[in-house]
Amino acid sequence: MAPPAQSQRSPSPSQPSGKGEVSDLKMQLRQLAGSRAPGTDDSKRELFKKAISYMTIGIDVSSLFSEMVMCSATSDIVLKKMCYLYVGNYAKYNPDLALLTINFLQKDCKDEDPMIRGLALRSLCSLRVANLVEYLVGPLGLGLKDGNSYVRTVATMGVLKLYHISAATCIDADFPATLKHLMLNDPDAQVVANCLSALQEIWSLEASTSEEASREREALLSKPIIYCLLNRIKEFSEWAQCIVLELVAKYVPSDGNEIFDMMNLLEDRLQHANGAVVLATIKLFLQLTLSMTDVHQQVYERIKAPLLTLVSSGSSEQSYAVLSHLHLLVMRAPILFSSDYKHFYCQYNEPFYVKKLKLEMLTAVANESNTYEIVTELCEYAANVDIPIARESIRAVGKIALQQYDVNAIVDRLLQFLEMEKDYVTAETLVLVKDLLRKYPQWSHDCIAVVGNISSKNVQEPKAKAALIWMLGEYAQDMQDAPYILESLIDNWDDEHSAEVRLHLLTAVMKCFLRRPPETQKALGAALAAGLADFHQDVHDRALFYYRLLQHNVSVAERVVNPPKQAVSVFADTQSSEIKDRIFDEFNSLSVVYQTPSYMFIDKEHRGPFAFSEELENLSIGVESANVASAQRVEANDKDLLLSTSEKEETRGPSSNGSAYSAPSYDSSSASLIASQAPSELIPSNQSLQAHAPQASLAIDDLLGLGLPVAPNPAPSPPPLTLNAKAVLEPNAFQQKWRQLPISVSQEYSINPQGVAALTTPQALLQHMQGHFIHCIASGGQAPNFKFFFFAQKAEESSTFLVECIINSSSCKVQIKIKADDQSTSQAFSDLFQSALSKFGMP
Amino acid sequence: MPVAASAIYFLNLRGDVLINRTYRDDVGGNMVDAFRINIMQTKELGTCPVRQIGGCSFFYMRISNVYIVIVVSSNANVACAFKFVVEAVTLFKSYFGGAFDEDAIRNNFVLIYELLDEIMDFGYPQNLSPEILKLYITQEGVRSPFSSKPSDKPVPNATLQVTGAVGWRREGLVYKKNEVFLDIVESVNLLMSSKGSVLRCDVTGKILMKCFLSGMPDLKLGLNDKIGLEKESQLKSRPSKSGKTIELDDVTFHQCVNLTRFNSEKTVSFVPPDGEFELMKYRITEGVNLPFRVLPTIKELGRTRMEINVKVKSVFGAKMFALGVVIKIPVPKQTAKTSFQVTSGRAKYNAAIDCLVWKIRKFPGQTEPTLSAEVELISTMAEKKSWTKPPIEMEFQVPMFTASGLRVRFLKVWEKSGYNTVEWVRYITKGGSYEIRC
Repeated sequence: MAPPAQSQRSPSPSQPSGKGEVSDLKMQLRQLAGSRAPGTDDSKRELFKKAISYMTIGIDVSSLFSEMVMCSATSDIVLKKMCYLYVGNYAKYNPDLALLTINFLQKDCKDEDPMIRGLALRSLCSLRVANLVEYLVGPLGLGLKDGNSYVRTVATMGVLKLYHISAATCIDADFPATLKHLMLNDPDAQVVANCLSALQEIWSLEASTSEEASREREALLSKPIIYCLLNRIKEFSEWAQCIVLELVAKYVPSDGNEIFDMMNLLEDRLQHANGAVVLATIKLFLQLTLSMTDVHQQVYERIKAPLLTLVSSGSSEQSYAVLSHLHLLVMRAPILFSSDYKHFYCQYNEPFYVKKLKLEMLTAVANESNTYEIVTELCEYAANVDIPIARESIRAVGKIALQQYDVNAIVDRLLQFLEMEKDYVTAETLVLVKDLLRKYPQWSHDCIAVVGNISSKNVQEPKAKAALIWMLGEYAQDMQDAPYILESLIDNWDDEHSAEVRLHLLTAVMKCFLRRPPETQKALGAALAAGLADFHQDVHDRALFYYRLLQHNVSVAERVVNPPKQAVSVFADTQSSEIKDRIFDEFNSLSVVYQTPSYMFIDKEHRGPFAFSEELENLSIGVESANVASAQRVEANDKDLLLSTSEKEETRGPSSNGSAYSAPSYDSSSASLIASQAPSELIPSNQSLQAHAPQASLAIDDLLGLGLPVAPNPAPSPPPLTLNAKAVLEPNAFQQKWRQLPISVSQEYSINPQGVAALTTPQALLQHMQGHFIHCIASGGQAPNFKFFFFAQKAEESSTFLVECIINSSSCKVQIKIKADDQSTSQAFSDLFQSALSKFGMP
Repeated sequence: MPVAASAIYFLNLRGDVLINRTYRDDVGGNMVDAFRINIMQTKELGTCPVRQIGGCSFFYMRISNVYIVIVVSSNANVACAFKFVVEAVTLFKSYFGGAFDEDAIRNNFVLIYELLDEIMDFGYPQNLSPEILKLYITQEGVRSPFSSKPSDKPVPNATLQVTGAVGWRREGLVYKKNEVFLDIVESVNLLMSSKGSVLRCDVTGKILMKCFLSGMPDLKLGLNDKIGLEKESQLKSRPSKSGKTIELDDVTFHQCVNLTRFNSEKTVSFVPPDGEFELMKYRITEGVNLPFRVLPTIKELGRTRMEINVKVKSVFGAKMFALGVVIKIPVPKQTAKTSFQVTSGRAKYNAAIDCLVWKIRKFPGQTEPTLSAEVELISTMAEKKSWTKPPIEMEFQVPMFTASGLRVRFLKVWEKSGYNTVEWVRYITKGGSYEIRC
């Protein structure tokens, strides 16, 4: 429900302010409160409806609280429901008033109508007011024993709600044990399902602190409980079945017979009309048979038809969810759908996200037998009106070409694309042709002939331009015009905004020079001069490097720049097999859609940047970094990690990224050195890295991965920065210091939307930051722009940090400027500040 | 840890909240702002139905002019969440009497709040069956705005069944006339290349039933599908009759169907819910009878003229006819003038969708009407990019025809009181996504 605070902040212009209406309503309600005349309920209904409609559109009607409660003495169930809804919405913000409602809710919990008992109990548990929990225990206890199953289903969920308000109260009342008893014995399936959901949640959360809870959590996976649930599977609602199947997927059967028994029992679930049940069953089957290779294959065969049905039935959002899973499966068993590729042909009206996944599927299922048809189909899309899809299709053709042995026909197709004379088609194709040439240099002759005809003026996109320039350099001897095209490109050096293109230009002209010196000399000179004057660091350095290399010895330069090249046999896979396995373990969840294991997008939030900075210390010692992995709820599997290392070593791309990530522990120059010497030591940090750089590009420029948002720390392992809790600074002293000190850190980053929402008044943030020992000296501004001046002092010495912080609540951007007495620790302080700020507004 | 939804929002196209329900406290009330800023106001909208913003994942779906957004803070089950939304919308529709849009929500917000409370508790889906919910959520939809009489007390034993085992049927139903209606509705999906070869073709069918039967009847349905027939001949140890048998690629059933019996005996037996429901869905890719063949020829005569000829051939029985046939033939954006002749039906140029729309209300089998059109284009100065033609699309309905050839062989009703029933069986084939490239 929209909290009143939010509604005040952003009322829609079309909505009334509501002041007058609300007081009117208040009057009318008061008149009706004591009335027992016939027809009162009707008028009450109208008034309640009004109150709730105001509430829905965001007008604060909390002032009606006492009137609403007074009017709630009624037998009319609809009125009651509206009243419960109202109370549930506002109780949290008016705890004192909420006390008023306890009485009538408790009374309703003993009503003779089970419907009312259930509703009242649900509302009572939804008040979410911590100091009222004592009133919950009694009614909940009764509710769990109620003769009516509806009341029991409500009560089981009520226990979970109570746990979230006050875990201790819930545990003390021994509710989990009661739930367990109900789960095994209740005749009603929905009660059982709710018990299971509640217990799973309670015990998972408790498990970190209590041995017993973690034992209980394990016990959920014990044979008796699993069998008890499985035997009743058909009684459960479709949603409850999903929960049960999800649980059973974690169960480890004792032997093969048990596996077959379970699969026989559940096979018909694959025919269920609810796609979620089907997916849950598929997950279960796949998990059960992981160790039985033959059966696992049969399972794949069995699930094929239901999956294809799911793709084509239901809304496109549902297809999207299913296609994501199909994609995961097809990566594991490409042969599986190779004869069903026609199911992945795109329909004209499908939304982009479905088409994109279908293209990925087509790429994945392509093999010798169907490549021709698939590529023909993809070529249709390349001519499509929808430009993003056209681009994706061309990329798909390229990917297929890279994974096939017989690419003859595909190369022809790609070259036809170049003749279509559409900018975006040409651009995408050039990038692909470049990759193809790196893998199949034997095709250079055909490709170069066509590429040579492309006017460089028609190629504007940086990636495509870079690809074209690369080819000009690499095949300078086969392309008549290469030196002249390069020359004209160099003439326009200043208009070239992409550093990537300029870098490629330098290298290409260098290569060209080494092959055709007389024609290229002039261009080379111009390029080196322009490069040396370039404001971009890399471009400048590369130009200087080439310049000195040539000065030193031309034949050495030849060996460095133009060595004989080996064809690339395999392009690096961006995801390690270990990550892929983990995603597979999390089948039927968001992990599959995001193509990332859950700890990367769930835990990160809970860990927060503070914990992060502590981890960095661990990272400085390679062995210990495994601890980090386990801290991320990864069942650390050293063997796997090492395996993934050896796969990676070939390409280096990700590994040097890894070094940048852990760079804080070293100074930056030695970091890359160490990375190249002993990449395996640093590799484990890759796991967290994947989140930052999911598609580690192979372009040389990215190898250094300097763009990562981790600022280097000077000391090898800096002592943790602690702040003085009771720092004091006079405003005058602050101003003086602010004027004197230079800015040592200036940063801009975004904060989470939760934080912004909590920032209704500057005071809220002040209190929060004070909790982190960062004090405010002045603040001001109004939404969306707030400005704060903070200060903090080191715990052991009187060194001070000054911060100017500007928050824009509409763009969620924060600008900070930090000045410090001791400049060496200002970066550490900046991290600390950032972490404190990022926790603002988190529940 | 199992996965629960934290909140659900209903927004209109401007991003105003129509209704929201926060089930758990782990997301703030400002989530909808995050959604508005990061998705609705960006180009992201519609590019992906699942998005992560600041640690929370947003699932969203657009249904008519309403966005339904589910927010979760954990690693949720995506398929389940979307299915939940779809089912919830079906439920709302059954309460409002068909339409689900912004107005319907505004007019029924109290009812929706009530339903949202029942269908999900603390983020876990509970009961979404309209049959059961209608027993105790008694507030009428807004079909008659004056009917806000105090509602009847809920049926005394309604709550017993709220979560009961035969969740889909009430006891003690009585009808004067016991009737069963069964519709086989198939939709044909076709993708044909410009050279006239079938790239992809399949049929998704469903069997819809409407039951007005007293008591607790047991129904048994026999189809001419291959597996069922083979099993039968095996059981009765006699060779199966010759005739067409249909191979179903995949079948899913309503929860009332006894799947154990289907797997052992290959018959569809069930205790039906009262009223309308979808008994089963199936998919067929082999041996599809296409009801129509479309033969287009498009000639570009110079830069400003085009000639379009489309012949549509109906290949079903001469005694049958198709209804509501609409053929959409794409023309370039810069179309200036069109003139055409048709041998049947009516055609016109619709500039909004850049198509010639040819409608034939009644289209007999074994005929082949044609359309020939001449299109004049505005000459443009832009470079002579060749026109990328969208496919020709076609809509139709053919009663008494199934593209798959599926037939009902028998429908038996058995109830302990032994009453007589009247059974009605209908077939209809519709055009699904029927695309012909040209």
